[in-house]
Amino acid sequence: MSSIKKIWKFLSSMRFAILLLVILAGACSAASFITQGQSYTWYAQHYSERTAALILALHLDDAFHSWWFLLIALFLCLNLLFCNIIRFPQIRQRVKAQSSPPKNSTAAFSAQDITDPDAVFQHLHMSPSRGSDENGCEVLYASKNSIGLWGAWVCHLGILFLIAGFSLGQITQQQASVYGIAGQTKPVGDTGLILTIDDFRIGLREDDTVEQYTADLTVGDPAKGTVQSATVSVNHPATLLGWKFYQNSTGWAEQITVTENGEPLQAELLCAGEYLRISDKPDLVIYFNAFYPDYVFVPGSGPKTVSGHLNNPATLYTVYYQDQILGMNVLIGEEELTIDEYTVIFSEPRNYTLIQAKKDSFTWLAFLGGFVTVIGLLLAFYVQPAKVWAIKEGSGSWAVHGSAKSGILFQEKFLAAARAGGAGKEINHAAD
Amino acid sequence: MLQIENTLSTIVMLLYFAAMILYFLFIAFKRDSFSRVAILLQIIGFVLHTIALICRGIGAGRLPLTNQYEFATSFAWGLCLVSLIFVLRFHFPVLGAFAAPLVFVIIGYAAMQSKEVHELMPALRSNWLGFHVSTAIIAYGSFGVSFVLSIIFLLRDRMKEKGFLDQHIPNREKLDVISYRSVSLGLLFLTFTIVTGAIWAERAWGSYWSWDPKETWSLVTWLVYAAYLHLRLRRGWQGKSAAIFAVVGFVCVMFTYLGVNTFLPGIHSYA
Repeated sequence: MSSIKKIWKFLSSMRFAILLLVILAGACSAASFITQGQSYTWYAQHYSERTAALILALHLDDAFHSWWFLLIALFLCLNLLFCNIIRFPQIRQRVKAQSSPPKNSTAAFSAQDITDPDAVFQHLHMSPSRGSDENGCEVLYASKNSIGLWGAWVCHLGILFLIAGFSLGQITQQQASVYGIAGQTKPVGDTGLILTIDDFRIGLREDDTVEQYTADLTVGDPAKGTVQSATVSVNHPATLLGWKFYQNSTGWAEQITVTENGEPLQAELLCAGEYLRISDKPDLVIYFNAFYPDYVFVPGSGPKTVSGHLNNPATLYTVYYQDQILGMNVLIGEEELTIDEYTVIFSEPRNYTLIQAKKDSFTWLAFLGGFVTVIGLLLAFYVQPAKVWAIKEGSGSWAVHGSAKSGILFQEKFLAAARAGGAGKEINHAAD
Repeated sequence: MLQIENTLSTIVMLLYFAAMILYFLFIAFKRDSFSRVAILLQIIGFVLHTIALICRGIGAGRLPLTNQYEFATSFAWGLCLVSLIFVLRFHFPVLGAFAAPLVFVIIGYAAMQSKEVHELMPALRSNWLGFHVSTAIIAYGSFGVSFVLSIIFLLRDRMKEKGFLDQHIPNREKLDVISYRSVSLGLLFLTFTIVTGAIWAERAWGSYWSWDPKETWSLVTWLVYAAYLHLRLRRGWQGKSAAIFAVVGFVCVMFTYLGVNTFLPGIHSYA
C-alpha cells in the first residue's frame, strides 16, 4: 500500500475519529479549568511562575484559539470529510441492496420450516416483493427504513457544516460596542455607521427587580445616506443596515464637573469604569469606580446598594497622581471632592446602555449544521433499517432470514413473527 | 399553588423512597410482587411529581426550570420518566431498583435547595428557555439510565445468584443494546439542548458559542458519548468497555450539572 493510501486510510478511519474525540474532550475540559485571556502576571499570582510560563508556552491562556486546538479541529474536519467521501458509495450500495432481492445477503437471524411466510411479513408490518435468489429459488423479500442507513453520514455532514460555519464566522465576523445615554450619537467602532440612542428604558417590576432593558436606536450610514431605526431589548436584537444590534448591558453614568479655584475647567459625562484626566494637570486622574443609587456600607463586605432607586446616591471614586493612588473614597449625595485648587462634583446620575453591533455572515451555516446534525441523529437512532427475506425450500416450506441495525431488539420481533408464520424450529442467531 | 407544590413534593419524595425500599425488598427476597408495587408507587410518584411541577409553574407564572431547585427536581422527574419507560418497555424491574436511589438522591438534593420563587432576569425571559432546559432534562435522565444500566452490566457477572438474575436481567447482549438505546436518546436530546442553547445565546448575548464553562462541558459530554457510540462499533469494545465508557460519560454529565456551577462560574452561573 502506498504512503498516500496509508495516510488517507488512517485519516478517514474510525480509530482516528475516536482518538480525536477523546483528545478534543480532554483539551476542552483542561482548558475550562484555566481562566482564559489573562496575562503572565495574573497566572503567576494565581498559580506559580513555572505554571504561568507553561500556560503561556502551551497557549493554554487562549486554548480555544491556539494552533494545536485548531489543528485538532482541522483533523476532525478532514476525518469527517474523508469518511463521508468513502462511505457515500458504500451507503448508496447498501440502500440499493436493501430493496433488491437478497444476493449473498448475510442473515443475522433465521427461522426454518415456515408454513405461512406472508404472516411473518404481516406481523413485521412489511409488504414483501417476489423474486428469486442466486440459485433460482423463489424468494419473498422486504425492507424498511432504508433511509436510516444515511443517519451517521448526514450527522457527519451536519457537524462539518457546523464547524465550517463557526470557523468562517470567527474569521470574518465584525463587531463593535457603543455605550451611551439617551440622546447621544456615537460612531459604531470603525464600521462607518453612526448610532443614536433615542431612548433607553429599564422596566422594573413591583418588587423592584428588572424585567427588561429596552433601547430605541437609529443607525445611519453617512457614506450611503441611509438611516434605519428599531427598538432592541434583551433577547430581541434588531437588524439595521445589515448589522445586528443587541441590548447587551447597562450601568450608571454621571456628569463630572471640575472647577479650578471656583472657575469652571471641564465637564464630561462619565460611565462607571471610566476616568477623567484633569485638562491642565494631566498627571491627575479621577477614576469613576461605581455608583450606588441607594447606598449602604456593610462592614466586612463594603459598599452596596439596597435598591435601584435614588434614595441615597453615592459615588465611589479613586484619585491617581502620576499613576499612584492618592486616595479612594465615597461621595454621598451632593458632597464635593477637593484636591488642592480643584473641586470635582459628580451629578445627574442616570443609566447608560451598552449596545453591541455584530455582523456574522455564517451564523446561518452553523445553525444549518446543528439542524442537519439533529436530523442525522434522528435517522441514525430512530429510523432503524431492517431487511427480511423468505426462501422457498425444496420441501415446500420456507426459511425466513433477517438482518437489522437494531440487532437483538429486532430479533425479538422477528422471533414473534416467525412463530406467527408457523416456525417449526427455534430461531438461529447468526453469531451462535 | 406553591403551597400545593410544597405538599406534593413531600409526598413525591416519600413515594420515591417507598418505591426504592420495595425495589430493594424485591431483590433481597426475590419476590415479583414487591417490584410490581414499587413500579406502581413510582408511577403514582411520577404523576404527582408532574402535577407538582405544573403547580410551581402556575404559581411562579413561568416554566419551573430556572434555578438549582427547579432544575434538580426536573432532573429527578426526567430520570424517573426515562427509567419508567425503560422498565416498562423492556420488562426490567431491576433497572428500577438501581435507578430509584439515583432519583431519590437527586430529589433529595433538590429538597436542600432554596425553593424561593424569583422573577426572571431579562436574559432568561425567552421562549427558548423551555426548549433548552426541557431537552437537557430528558438528556440527563437518559444518561442517568445508561449509567444505571452500565452499573448493572458491570455487576451482572459478579452476582452469585444466577437463576433470579437470568429471569430478571436481560442477557449481556441485550443489556448492551438497551444501554446504547438510552445513550442514543440522551445524545439526541443533548444535541437539541446545545443547538437550542446556541440559538438562544445568539439572541440574548449576540454570540451563539462563547466557550463558557457550561457550554464547554456540554461539548465535552457530547464528545465522550460520541466516542462511546463509535467505540461500540469496534470489535471488542461492546459490553464491558462500553459500559465503563458510559459510566465516565455520566461523570461528565454530573460535572456539567453540578461541578461547573461549583468550580467554574461563567455566564451560566444561574443554572
